[in-house]
Amino acid sequence: MNVAEALVMVMQAWGIIGAVVAAVFLTIGIDRIDADARGAYIFRPLLIPGVLLIWPLVLWRWWQTETERAAWAERYRPVRASYGIAVVLMSLGIVAIVTLGLSVRQSWPADIAPLQLSEGARQ
Amino acid sequence: MIEKPFFVGYLPAPGPLRTFLLTVSILLIAGLGIAGFLMGAAQDDPGPGAFRFDYGRQTVTGVVELTPYPILHVTQGDDRIQPGDSFLMTAGGKSGVDSRAEPLNGQLAQVSGVVLERGDLYMLQLRSGRNGLQAAEGDAPVIAPEPQGRWKLAGEICDGKCLAGAMRPGRGLAHKACANLCLLGDVPPIFVSTQPVLGEEFLLVTGANGTRLPRAAYDYIAQFITAEGEITKRGDLLVWEIDVDTIEVTE
Amino acid sequence: MSVKYIPVQWNRNKWIYDAVMLTGVALFLWVFLYLTPEVLSHEQPVTAQIHNARAFGACAFVMLTVILCIGPAARLDRRFLPLLYNRRHFGVMTAFVALTHAGYILNWYFAFSSTDKLVGLLYANASLGQIAGFPFELFGIFALICLLILAATSHDFWLKFLTPPIWKRLHYLIYAAYFSVAAHVSLGILQDQKNHVFTVLFILGASAVIVLHIAAWLSERREIAAKDGAWAEVACVGDFREGYAKIAKLANGDRVAVYLMEGKLSAISNACAHQNGPLGEGKIIDCLVTCPWHGFQYDVRSGRSPAPFTEKVPTYRLRVIGDMVEVHPDANPPGTYVEPVPLPEPPPDPARDPAEQGATA
Repeated sequence: MNVAEALVMVMQAWGIIGAVVAAVFLTIGIDRIDADARGAYIFRPLLIPGVLLIWPLVLWRWWQTETERAAWAERYRPVRASYGIAVVLMSLGIVAIVTLGLSVRQSWPADIAPLQLSEGARQ
Repeated sequence: MIEKPFFVGYLPAPGPLRTFLLTVSILLIAGLGIAGFLMGAAQDDPGPGAFRFDYGRQTVTGVVELTPYPILHVTQGDDRIQPGDSFLMTAGGKSGVDSRAEPLNGQLAQVSGVVLERGDLYMLQLRSGRNGLQAAEGDAPVIAPEPQGRWKLAGEICDGKCLAGAMRPGRGLAHKACANLCLLGDVPPIFVSTQPVLGEEFLLVTGANGTRLPRAAYDYIAQFITAEGEITKRGDLLVWEIDVDTIEVTE
Repeated sequence: MSVKYIPVQWNRNKWIYDAVMLTGVALFLWVFLYLTPEVLSHEQPVTAQIHNARAFGACAFVMLTVILCIGPAARLDRRFLPLLYNRRHFGVMTAFVALTHAGYILNWYFAFSSTDKLVGLLYANASLGQIAGFPFELFGIFALICLLILAATSHDFWLKFLTPPIWKRLHYLIYAAYFSVAAHVSLGILQDQKNHVFTVLFILGASAVIVLHIAAWLSERREIAAKDGAWAEVACVGDFREGYAKIAKLANGDRVAVYLMEGKLSAISNACAHQNGPLGEGKIIDCLVTCPWHGFQYDVRSGRSPAPFTEKVPTYRLRVIGDMVEVHPDANPPGTYVEPVPLPEPPPDPARDPAEQGATA
């Protein structure tokens, strides 16, 4: 119970921090780092769920953009190389879990009859 | 190399591609419809359990007995529930009536609520507060427990309420978390035996020596198991005191 | 694209795409929810909330399966590329359907209890040490979170803000999500259901995803022969076709698209600035390289999108040595103009397939 309650609290805290980050980023930050967002307001509410979910990544990218830390070439380096790893892992995982799941599947043991092990004491 | 049609999202699709895309679209829509039918029609029968609102509210009087899950042994029935019957009770939602029943242990009480019924099994979902369970005037007969010996049974531990018809399906592994939550809320657990035991398919299951079903048994809820324990007949209800150490998962 | 962001850049193809997708989803749900109860001859019907939860859960699985098949199918057969075009709307819809499934579960199985619903969800089944009876809901929760993240970051703003490589890495979560869905189903409904139709359909769907992805990956691996050396070989002079590119893979893993336009060669990064789509698999339309994924366009000589757009990709230097076109692996900063290299006449090659030669001319 304690672990579950703690997890729910962490989730709530994550959401609250996310809301604060969203408020600041979507009113101030976004104009500073993306010229295309200046004067564009209608699309901003669409970004709120994203910020709520991945606000640490948002803060990190915001900081990177402000300080111009990311090398320009990084932007053009597709991650296609990891595609093979991702796909193989997913495939092996699915095969394993489905096999495992089906192997532990039970059928109703209708043939096992009740067995009396001892008589009831007479009262 | 033959010139292949090249699709640009914001331009109309090239001619030869249009036929292909139309075919794919039709196949996709039809495929989704067929999948919906096959998956929907493949659902198992969830069993005959149900709330019997059509029976109307039942109000009967009987002796409260804690096993520790409260049982009512009926002394004064109505047109549907006969004197001599014994049944289990729950409150609304995922909760039992333990706190209300404990002060009345061994005494006569009047209960009122709606029936949940699944074959031979039935229980009453009581109205809230004193409307559902209150002390009644009169002498309470003593209900003598009848020991039936130690038995090894095969079957499944369920939460009694969902099994009896609060949910369909109300048993099985996909329903396990819900069953656990019910039991944690003091809903009485029921053992469904593979074959009738002393004429009964459903038994109230408790821990050894009149305790609640121990947490250690929760790992086995909704799985098919065999286990051993003493059976006692209380009124016309069988109570199985399961010995958790003997639980084994069947093939 | 660049220019001010708007919520959705609608066009005719997107309307058609969404109409087809929504029709399919609506049909699935309608059939499952309203048609199948008529067919099932049960004494008592499945509880409505459970029936709804199953309908939306099954629908989300089928949608996710289709979505995951689109990518590799388009790699293996380019005619499927239009299905890729607006896949994000498909994904967002899937997230909504999955969320509805979770809503029905949470508000039914975990409601009516003195315990908070979310706490109950995480707490009720603590049998973590076993396979049968494992709290399979956890896999569902993980998959749902993944789907929500992907849906919430599907707007083009996120691509530009996170940069395509980070965005793409984040969206690789889809593979983890699909595995998680498979686990959720395997340890959940597959344990219970006695009718095996769903089990068979589920295994068919998951197999299709696996087979297509592995096939696409293998075919991609075959296509790319690793090349070394300072100047990397691209292709023979005679292999180029007007308006199309050859793709070279550099030793550092980057890819370069070398285009032939008006008899001259130019090289730009193969990764589109939008989603890192394969520019080299695109085509020159109106003197502009057009990405096969979403139609983003670039001037092949400078790697710049035409005004008013501001996307830029890196360019590369080229040279022709004998019959071989070579590219220098050091990229120029995005948007750097490079003078195109004229393509020498290819030497006559009698062994060439006449059909191919005809198309090249």
